[in-house]
Amino acid sequence: MIGSTPSAEARQVVRAAAQWLALMESGAANERDRANLQHWRDSHPSHEQAWQKAQLLRQRFADLPSALAMASLDRPQTSRRMVLKRAVGAVALVPTAWLISRQLPLDVWRADLRTATGEDKKVQLADGSLLQLNTASAVDIDLKNRRLTLVEGEIALNVPGTSPLTVQTHFGQVVVSQSEVCVRQGQAGCKVSVLKGSVQLQPLRGPVFSLRAGQQVGLQAMGAGRAEPFDVLAPGWRDGVLMAQNQPLGDFLRELSTYRPGLLRWEPELESLRVTGSFRLEDTDRILTLLAASLPLEVHRRTRYWVTLLPRKNSV
Amino acid sequence: MSDAAMPAAQTFHDLYRDHRGWLESWLRRRMSNGHDAADLSQDTFVRLLASSQHIADLQEPRAYLATVGKRLLTNFYKRRSLEQAYLSALALLPDDCMPSPEQRWLLLETLQALDELLDGLPTAVRRAFLWSQLEGLGYHEIAERLHVSERTIKRYMAQAYEHCLLVQM
Repeated sequence: MIGSTPSAEARQVVRAAAQWLALMESGAANERDRANLQHWRDSHPSHEQAWQKAQLLRQRFADLPSALAMASLDRPQTSRRMVLKRAVGAVALVPTAWLISRQLPLDVWRADLRTATGEDKKVQLADGSLLQLNTASAVDIDLKNRRLTLVEGEIALNVPGTSPLTVQTHFGQVVVSQSEVCVRQGQAGCKVSVLKGSVQLQPLRGPVFSLRAGQQVGLQAMGAGRAEPFDVLAPGWRDGVLMAQNQPLGDFLRELSTYRPGLLRWEPELESLRVTGSFRLEDTDRILTLLAASLPLEVHRRTRYWVTLLPRKNSV
Repeated sequence: MSDAAMPAAQTFHDLYRDHRGWLESWLRRRMSNGHDAADLSQDTFVRLLASSQHIADLQEPRAYLATVGKRLLTNFYKRRSLEQAYLSALALLPDDCMPSPEQRWLLLETLQALDELLDGLPTAVRRAFLWSQLEGLGYHEIAERLHVSERTIKRYMAQAYEHCLLVQM
């Protein structure tokens, strides 16, 4: 931000430099303009200085990868009303076709609801069902056909009514009515955990089967795995909590990094340390601090978005 | 230490004690994450402390706090929306164009700095400037895209340069 208001003279110099630059870039400058510019630059050190600063500014932009920078800096500007709308959690804003939609998977962009890394979102659907999205998740909602498509990430869905909602994943379908379920989709498969009532599952291969509260199962391209029990009452992401029970630190950090925008790195020798505890996900920096307090490691912050964990030297 | 010896600090203390809870819940109603709301509420008070505003002169402290809070909230969402736009754009890149993880995050910081730098420019000016700087479009082409004259584009560019250079001062 501006520390102190620049003097009128300084502003005048800046304005002149800006106008020179705009003229030079217009392609309409002639020999005389160039001579005049040189004269202007030579006539006072502050002119040359302003000119150099302007060149540096150009360089900062020139160094950027243009497609990425364009998509980020030229995004649609959110109005205040939209900010408030979003803050209330009613509707997620999905940037649409303005992006570099040429090359790649568009699935995410057709999603009706989406969360950023570290964000979670809870919505009530028109039929009274409750849908919650975990970090970095996207869902297409098609209530007319009673269908939710999990594009990526993880959702929790509570359908109190008798009219079933079908959750479509890459690895099969889950039919939910008068029940509550968590569905998490990864690259290689998805995991379905029933919290309340029971659900019907249709894997890509194999027969339809049902799963009841307290059971979870993995679905893969090859079909369903074996149903296993889990603790329905243990707090989890839906409560904003990350639980660990004697978990290898590497696994814990891999999970944690799905909630953190940015890069989280650690030395291999930290991988096998053990973590136990329940951690509030709303502040992942604090989780790192807590880890450093209880385990022989140090947190190094290169930038806000680049954190490395190192073994603590001379630990007492 | 007598209270009378530090009237300003005492007033700030009062203000903080009386209104922090209110401000935090005001922000919380507008944000999804309670932790962010607490952070922003602290920031608001820090701004107040750093500003030249005489706390004793505040007639409507809550209106003042809400104004500062709103501004911080807007900045917060701007940063968040940049982050999302950036990550989404990254996700669309083909693998062989993907910058290394380190580069990705350094780049985001650079983009945030530039985003702040451009903040406050009218949309058309900002867009003309970005097209010129990032895509290397000529004034003629930009003028056609925006349906304005080349002269206007030249004025836009000068305006954008002036704005950025002034913010950097």
